[in-house]
Amino acid sequence: MADVVIAIAGLRTAIATRDGDVVQLVRDRYKGFLSPGSPAWRLEIETGPVGARRTHDDVLVSRAGAEPRYVINRGDFAGTVDLLSRGASVTLADANEYSLDSFLRILYSLALVEARALVVHAASLVRHRHAHLFCGRSGSGKTTVARLSPDATLLSDELSIVRISDGHAQCHGTPFWGELARAGDDRAAPLAGIHFLHHGPRHASSVVTPRQAIERLLPNVLFFARDPELTARVLAIAADLVDAAPCSDLSFRLDPGFWEVIDRA
Amino acid sequence: MPEQYPARNSRVAWRVYDGEAVILVAEDSTLNTLNAVGTVVWEAADGRTPVSAIVDRVCDEFDVDLAQAERDVAGFIEKLRRRGLLNVAASPDAVP
Repeated sequence: MADVVIAIAGLRTAIATRDGDVVQLVRDRYKGFLSPGSPAWRLEIETGPVGARRTHDDVLVSRAGAEPRYVINRGDFAGTVDLLSRGASVTLADANEYSLDSFLRILYSLALVEARALVVHAASLVRHRHAHLFCGRSGSGKTTVARLSPDATLLSDELSIVRISDGHAQCHGTPFWGELARAGDDRAAPLAGIHFLHHGPRHASSVVTPRQAIERLLPNVLFFARDPELTARVLAIAADLVDAAPCSDLSFRLDPGFWEVIDRA
Repeated sequence: MPEQYPARNSRVAWRVYDGEAVILVAEDSTLNTLNAVGTVVWEAADGRTPVSAIVDRVCDEFDVDLAQAERDVAGFIEKLRRRGLLNVAASPDAVP
């Protein structure tokens, strides 16, 4: 069984599979995130019939019993994630990039909670050695902001990872991309600000309170498990995150002038 | 009118910011936010405090008369019960 090790936000996962197509898929799709270090997690991947009856995009993540073990089903994959043993397994209907990427997004959203990190629907960019998180649902302008920032280092145009440690927030690059179809850099930078994005007639930034920030942030956190314990931890991390970084509403139009507004704030 | 004892659903996570609660529901990740009066009711809903005592707290903290507070608190508790955020029992700590 071949192992390929990837590291996202510092969390290394050994991906073990007998399927040569999957090995190649992992090497190609996550080439910027391959890592030679010792893995904390192990993910076993098989390909074959998944037996799921759910529609393709309908993900169900449910806790199996008292232990922190989750069963994850979608039309094109069926898997488990065990937070205690740090092991996961998944059967993919075939060696499909979209299926694998979707499972990894869910795996990391669960695994990173332990490390006090959240996977957030947000673009993130590094400028002047500091990261900015641009948060919003589809259509809010995440990819547009990334496209308008050729001088910044891309961490992601779709799903970013933010981690809290000792009251400080770090933003990490991810291979999880959106319309840009380009992975972020595998690096981290201190988080300088969280910007809740929306299109507008002019560039404008207004500070939001921690309560407003958490109301805007939480709907953008990638979080599937219907689990009170995990829900409480996600809320605690989100609360620390909005305390650790300045939060603002950012209205922007289609030119890079929004960076001037951010720099002035 | 018999006394009632509201209790927060244990499957929610919540925080209070500037006197206003933000509640995250585990089942569907929905977010609920409460105003200052609602937050007083929410914080008091521990399964041991009767509705009458919660009404007294609301009267103490806000400029509202008893009859109005009784109506508002009862309506609010019922609203949160229908949303699955609160359970209501006829005796203290009887909520599962």
